[in-house]
Amino acid sequence: MKLIDPTGSAPERSHARAPKLATLDGKVVGLISNGKLNADLLLEETAKLFVAEHGCRVNKLVYKHNASAPARQEVIQQVADESDFLLTATGD
Amino acid sequence: MIGKGRIVNTQRIHDVPDDPLAAVDYCYEQGWTDGLPVVPPEESRVRATLAFEGRPPETVIAVHPATGLELTVHAAAVNAVMAGCLPEYFPVLVAAFEAMQEEPYNFHGSTASTGGSAPLLIVSGPIVDELGMNAGVNLFGPGNRANATIGRAVRLCILNVFRMTPGIADKSTQGHPGKYTFCIAERADRNPWPALHEELGYGPDISSVTVYAGSGFCNIENHGGGSVESLLVTIADTMSNYGCISLGQTLLVLAPEHADIIASTGWSKPQVQQFLYDHATRSIESMKYIGKYVEREHKRQGSPPEVHRGIDPSDILITVGGGDAGGHSAFIPSWSRSRASIMQSKPIGVCIDC
Repeated sequence: MKLIDPTGSAPERSHARAPKLATLDGKVVGLISNGKLNADLLLEETAKLFVAEHGCRVNKLVYKHNASAPARQEVIQQVADESDFLLTATGD
Repeated sequence: MIGKGRIVNTQRIHDVPDDPLAAVDYCYEQGWTDGLPVVPPEESRVRATLAFEGRPPETVIAVHPATGLELTVHAAAVNAVMAGCLPEYFPVLVAAFEAMQEEPYNFHGSTASTGGSAPLLIVSGPIVDELGMNAGVNLFGPGNRANATIGRAVRLCILNVFRMTPGIADKSTQGHPGKYTFCIAERADRNPWPALHEELGYGPDISSVTVYAGSGFCNIENHGGGSVESLLVTIADTMSNYGCISLGQTLLVLAPEHADIIASTGWSKPQVQQFLYDHATRSIESMKYIGKYVEREHKRQGSPPEVHRGIDPSDILITVGGGDAGGHSAFIPSWSRSRASIMQSKPIGVCIDC
């Protein structure tokens, strides 16, 4: 008996990590919240540590349109343009 | 196998002994099941299923937004066979995944979330009788091959093709019995309003499937309230219970007895939706007390004096199903407190590009 494999496949994708920052000192931090109850608190408290320890500047927090879906491309582009690195969180 | 960014199944054909029971065991060994035995995906049955789809087998009907894993017509047919589907059920499965592929459905989130929803298929139109689907007694229960196996095929595709493995990619806290199968048909003969497929604009001969990321099932029992108001207040109270109230959508499956009470008044479906929206509320103070008040979400409702369920009356999908006897309707809240999935519908067996 010949059985046909029921599993799926995916086309090749090219993903690469962003280059590591040489230093955090004086960098601009972007924040993306998933909008859940404690996400903002978690992000803002974490950002304060970067301010205190590395003299970072923190941009205004932005939200995903949907807690359970990726941020829209325009949101990602906005924070990428305005920030040196990004903090995101799934507070709950 | 994972290598160089490509995920492939390297062995498309598996030679196994001509022993059906051994083949069932082989499927278990490969991890191809939902925990229950599957029909071994033997070639001839897959071919027979593919005959019910006009597009080539390699046609991609859904892509996982996070992993890029693709559901082809062929893979869907294999999993349909394994679920026990008859070949003629296949167009329903295809249409269901075409619906889930729409971005607002949020396929990844709804299948991965701790919230533990399951895709509920609501089939409406002439295909219900053509396939012998159950729209009546024991609507959500066992016993009907089409309902049981179409819903199961959805889950097998999610497990085998999209690899939403429980505990790994599917992080549902408590799961959902509908993750085995969750497929119903609309009962046309006791529906006082136009059928769902017609409301969707598909016409009398075109059937539809609506896919809804459904959370847990809430029974709405009312045998004593003989008026439309007493019945609808009961339903609204169920919709707005503290555990369920959210910005999410609502599915209401009216039992025929309850549908008859409403029909006797001549209320239109929009009237019923408006009444339910107006009454499925909680006070802002009580929402704060239980820790579920989110001002940003309240603003999405227009900041009314009380917190409602959903955004507006059109968020309430009303259909009819179940047996002749019993004042038991069903409320199924949509997954996600923040309205992360919006139900989607597609016509069945209508392929524009074929």
